[in-house]
Amino acid sequence: MESQTGPMRVLVTGGSGLVGKAIQRVVTEEGGAREGEKWIFLSSKDADLTNTAVTRAIFEKHRPTHVIHLAAMVGGLFRHLRQNLDFWRVNVAINDNVLQTAHEFGVVKVVSCLSTCIFPDETTYPINETMIHNGPPHTSNSGYAYAKRMVDVHNRALFQQYGRKYTAIIPTNIFGPHDNFNIDDAHVLPALVHKTYKAKRDGTALEVWGSGQGLRQFIYSLDLARLYLWVLREYDEVEPIILSVGEEDEITVKDVVDAIVEAFEFTGPVIEPHRTPTEQYDTSKSDGQLKKTASNAKLRSYRPDFTFTPFRTGKHHTYLTPACDTSALSVITADMASTGNGDTELSKRRAIGLQPIMRVLGNEFCYLLGTKVKHSMALFAMMNTWMTNH
Amino acid sequence: MENKAATVRVMVTGGSGLVGKAIEHVLKEEGGAKEGEEWIFLSSKDGNLMDPDETRALFQKHRPTHVVHLAAMVGGLFKNMRQNLDFWRNNMYINDNVLQAAHDHDVVKVVSCLSTCIFPDKTTYPIDETMIHNGPPHESNFGYSYAKRMIDVHNRAYCAQFGRRYTAVIPTNVFGPHDNFNIEDGHVLPGLIHKAYIAQKEGTPLQVWGSGRPLRQFIYSLDLARLFLWVLREYDEVDPIILSGEHDLTEFSLSCFSTQLTLVGEEDEVSIKQAADAVIEALHFKGEVLYDTTKSDGQFKKTASNAKLRKYRPDFTFTPFHKAVKETCDWFKANYDIARK
Repeated sequence: MESQTGPMRVLVTGGSGLVGKAIQRVVTEEGGAREGEKWIFLSSKDADLTNTAVTRAIFEKHRPTHVIHLAAMVGGLFRHLRQNLDFWRVNVAINDNVLQTAHEFGVVKVVSCLSTCIFPDETTYPINETMIHNGPPHTSNSGYAYAKRMVDVHNRALFQQYGRKYTAIIPTNIFGPHDNFNIDDAHVLPALVHKTYKAKRDGTALEVWGSGQGLRQFIYSLDLARLYLWVLREYDEVEPIILSVGEEDEITVKDVVDAIVEAFEFTGPVIEPHRTPTEQYDTSKSDGQLKKTASNAKLRSYRPDFTFTPFRTGKHHTYLTPACDTSALSVITADMASTGNGDTELSKRRAIGLQPIMRVLGNEFCYLLGTKVKHSMALFAMMNTWMTNH
Repeated sequence: MENKAATVRVMVTGGSGLVGKAIEHVLKEEGGAKEGEEWIFLSSKDGNLMDPDETRALFQKHRPTHVVHLAAMVGGLFKNMRQNLDFWRNNMYINDNVLQAAHDHDVVKVVSCLSTCIFPDKTTYPIDETMIHNGPPHESNFGYSYAKRMIDVHNRAYCAQFGRRYTAVIPTNVFGPHDNFNIEDGHVLPGLIHKAYIAQKEGTPLQVWGSGRPLRQFIYSLDLARLFLWVLREYDEVDPIILSGEHDLTEFSLSCFSTQLTLVGEEDEVSIKQAADAVIEALHFKGEVLYDTTKSDGQFKKTASNAKLRKYRPDFTFTPFHKAVKETCDWFKANYDIARK
């Protein structure tokens, strides 16, 4: 085991995505970097990480001591359903190339990025870090989910055979600037942000479906970035760690809509569409969960002090710490306003790193519809209809 | 010379190993081959399957319509415990290269080979085919186990994205002629045979590692080979199938009663001590037997159900355990010089 002398040289794969950009901001604008450290942010333009020789060339060139590994093949529901095999093979190739090359180049630590969508489909709640492999993931994104799970297997095998302490984080739903706001392909929150922006710009109604009673935990990308740096520097376990607000800070999808409407100062009508797709699929499939709660007890045992950015400013949310001027959503909406063109600019972006959580995405739509549909093909039909109408 | 007119051309990866040799034996010595079939047996000498280009070259050269995929990095308990990363990576590469090349070359069917050692460690027994992914495998060989499990993930993804019907078999502990009899790296039964052989020659005690109490189901390689041919030709599911004898005779005897077949099989889940006793009897070993309890036992049991197999093949007769052990010991003695050890 080499010990590392001198300042860190950190390579960030997938550095141009949602999480990568947040880390970049923390490093360059919040004093996140330390004296003498070098931070290198890569994007897919710099290297095709599915290619072993190319990956090695990158490590030769930059000689990192540490790696934050965010790069992945990601995509929306339709892509997962159509390309289960590709999500498996491409992500396994990327992850093996990065982890193996890092090992061969003596990288002290790699922190990869998993997702709560990879947990077992049938499980008890709250989920915690010990439960990742306790059953199959949801079939709709099983290729992606297994590829991410195998990062944890790889980390443990590297530790068992060589004593390397590579690890991973497990965020819940991430949101923030530089997300993928493409309405066809994005998470619900950025999709809603984009839709609200357009509704305001075009003077149309904001169409939202259903009761929105489903509960979710969100983590602001800048908070995730701050915690990511702490994990890189201080977290010493091989077992991964969930990074999220606590169970008590779960919010409903309706809260999300309200917060976005408030952040945009949208005063137009918020309506449900005249046609619901509930007729189009089999509602006899019971039991979508109201909560998909992940426990952040492990994080809290290490960082009882950490303060999450309030989701929105306002007096009605008692879970908030004292409101600060810049709530998460106001930052995003300000960014969007300044680019001036929500349609083309942002829709071109593809966030690399943590991305659409198929099952969460699907279930969020379920709760927007006020139904409890779990069947993946039904979700496909429902979302297909929703998206072709927008 | 390859027969290009053959309608079924089966390429066997890992063809020189324990199972490959058994399949070859069944085809050649037992009339197992069918008209119009051609069989190609590959070994690691023919190409490195961890390399995608070499793998593709093999498919280009032989143009198989079917593949029996046996090639893997394998080893006994102690080797696995030392090298989990290598078992994970090397097997992942081999499997991805073979499955992807097969798909690209329009192979109709690939039958891969899993193992009951990949099942969840904390589980109810007996294990069946639906339970493979229901929890983490035993810590001792998790690298190998996950690599093998991912074959099933891979098969299902090929089916979802392309409609391919690639599948896999799940044998219990295989043994027979042409095994790896290396004491450090091999599996328990060939290891015991080799150790007993040496102990007999040198007049020393037979040292059995562990307490002798763990339970294992064994399947004779020739029985496995016969069933493998049936799976290749007739079994149409993407879900894998466990290939094993009975762990519990009650169910089997009841089904025999209802179908009026004769009960020939025996319970094949035995303790390590019982396996050692079978070897001792087969070799007529008369020396002392010692159990080294400082050595790891591995998993206590991995009892698998063969109910699915019995549904398809109620007629299949397994070679009795003592007879199969005797044949293997006789082979080892007669072929000591060329045996892998």
